Amino acid sequence: MTEAGRRRAGDRRAVRWFHYAMTGPALGLLLAFLVLPAVYVAWLSTTASTYGQPARFVGLDNYAHLAADPIFWRAFWNTFFVVNGIVYVELALGLGLAVLLTGPMPFKAAIVAVILDPSATTESSGIVMWRYMLEPDVGLVTQWMEHAGLPTLEWSTNPIATLLLASVIAVWHHLPFTFLILYSALTTVPQDVLEAAEIDGASRWQAFWRVTLRLIMPAILIAVLFRYIFAIRTFAEVWLLTEGGPARLSEVLAIYLYRETFKYHEFGMASATGFVMLAMSLVIALPYLKQMYREAARGP
Amino acid sequence: MTTRRETLKTLSGALAALAAGPLATAPARAADRFTIIAHAVHKAAATTGPGGDVTAPWRAQNNTDIEWLTFGVEAVNERAFKEASLAEGNADLVFILDRYTGPQFAGLFEDLRTWQTKDAIPDFGEIPAGMVAAHSFGGKVTAIPFRHATHGLHYNTEYFAEKGVTGPPKTVTDAVALAEKLTYKRADGLQVYGLVMNFDDPATPIDWIRGFGGDFITSDYKVVVDSPASVRGVAMLCDLYKKGVLPKNSMNLKTEDVTTFMQQGRGAMTNNPFNRYINYNDPKASKFPGKIAVSALPLGVDGKPMPAKTSVWAMAIPVNAKNKQRSWSLVKLLSTRESAIAETLNGNGPVRPSAYEDARVKALIPYAAAEKEALASARLVVPGFANAAKSMDIFIEELGNAMLGNKEPAAAMAEVKKRVTPLLPT
Repeated sequence: MTEAGRRRAGDRRAVRWFHYAMTGPALGLLLAFLVLPAVYVAWLSTTASTYGQPARFVGLDNYAHLAADPIFWRAFWNTFFVVNGIVYVELALGLGLAVLLTGPMPFKAAIVAVILDPSATTESSGIVMWRYMLEPDVGLVTQWMEHAGLPTLEWSTNPIATLLLASVIAVWHHLPFTFLILYSALTTVPQDVLEAAEIDGASRWQAFWRVTLRLIMPAILIAVLFRYIFAIRTFAEVWLLTEGGPARLSEVLAIYLYRETFKYHEFGMASATGFVMLAMSLVIALPYLKQMYREAARGP
Repeated sequence: MTTRRETLKTLSGALAALAAGPLATAPARAADRFTIIAHAVHKAAATTGPGGDVTAPWRAQNNTDIEWLTFGVEAVNERAFKEASLAEGNADLVFILDRYTGPQFAGLFEDLRTWQTKDAIPDFGEIPAGMVAAHSFGGKVTAIPFRHATHGLHYNTEYFAEKGVTGPPKTVTDAVALAEKLTYKRADGLQVYGLVMNFDDPATPIDWIRGFGGDFITSDYKVVVDSPASVRGVAMLCDLYKKGVLPKNSMNLKTEDVTTFMQQGRGAMTNNPFNRYINYNDPKASKFPGKIAVSALPLGVDGKPMPAKTSVWAMAIPVNAKNKQRSWSLVKLLSTRESAIAETLNGNGPVRPSAYEDARVKALIPYAAAEKEALASARLVVPGFANAAKSMDIFIEELGNAMLGNKEPAAAMAEVKKRVTPLLPT
């Protein structure tokens, strides 16, 4: 190796050590606060564990128990449908509103403020407010609907209505997140690119579909990914409405996990449920992450 | 002009200051902190009301401030177990409810027989053995009963008068008929439901099932919820729900919701703990202050008193408590007969039956005699065992299925038996 080559190799080694030194603290934090607890929970999921008793290794019994429990599967499918409903309705609404508001519109600032308003409301207060508005017999909205001869939403007795209402509340509360990401992405789309598309004869729809949407795709992927990960943990909306009732028919996975932890104190089962939720998040996130890496590799 | 008494007081104060010398100017020793995990009702019973603050002399004597950490029913128990299971806990005393505890948690708490032998609670034998048994596992007494919450029948006397009813129902069948009669729309458009109950656990439905001669789990751990008598009770509840006598959202109601129903006049009757009388008649919150009366539950179909549900809250000392002697001294104080009377005056359900005989209690608590009567035949919701919480959830789930019409009552209760039996202690 020449002198110059040796120097370059030495520089590379120095740079590598410098990188490790700089990223080390952050990696250490990740290890301490994410990886180690995750490893502990993974171990806990293979034990029978409760307060005041030593954890007993049971292998994969907890997972087998979950697989055989019809209530777990009901919670799984309820979560699946609720999460997908929430994420895609939010995406459609958020994108629609963002597109509307990037064009000319009076009182734009006021409208944006109104859209962002729910995110400033405490989650539990917002849910209780919705609940009281739609309370059977005495809820304001229920009474209006009855006066207007409309059918009322039987959310306290019909699990589908419960999950529908929970989804509406979740969309109401989290729409500002999706909207903000997409709105800010849309405002950064270069006008000259759109003008070029127009000169090339693209209609407004074609320009949106083939140019704008492609340009904001990384933002869409981030919004969808984050909302999926958060929505899988949906808890408060269903818990504060019915606690998963009636008859545990509207239960979602986070409530199942809550019962195992705080009601039955079965930490092994709770950890196994948590791991299933994690796996569910990963399975959903992987295609989006893959797409994001592809977009990033392709460059702007 | 200064009186002789005032002059003497000033002089004695000055002499005391001289005798204390430099100590008199030194700052007082900071009070120790004593942490109790409890529900708000325990704090109120021990410290607030016509009975006064029972803990005051103990705090003064020990130069200790009590920090009451209060939570909802489920959370109190959860927090108590969590604190007690730590290597080093912060709780000196915790309150736990019979149906949330079990043999698996016995190791978290002191065996209080040892303390009772060393420094006995006077006349401990007066506390009913059944209440002590609710917190005893494997011969070990893990907690000393403090409060019982026994169900009575609360009813709105204004609605009774409107419908020409003169008094509470005498039998369970009368109660069912009356609930139907009292389901109506008032002139102001308010929908009144004949009976309101919370279905967050089996405590309220179990009263009616027992009224029909049935039960859920017997004290010797047998599931009898599928017996013909139990199914009759369940079928009656389903029928009331179908007819709209029970509110549409009954399965979603919690204790607080029932309180609101009664306060707003949306419910004509409910079976709930006697001391809810205070909430239902609270002039600040109720539209019917002084008009919600309470009696013992009606007689069952067998003509005997319907066994009212009772719960027993008890005081436990975590094994990791720092000063167990001090914890026991407070348990002892809160358990004396005089304390029980004061706590009853503050709204507690006394674990010493003699409290009901006290003249002050009789004068201040209008339901004292009825509660004492109900207590004589009361039963716990379920006996304590490791899977009690899960079993109760299964019962509520299947009862919900029956009420919604997803299953026939007999099929639903057969399913309860099938799922709960493997969870029972062998």
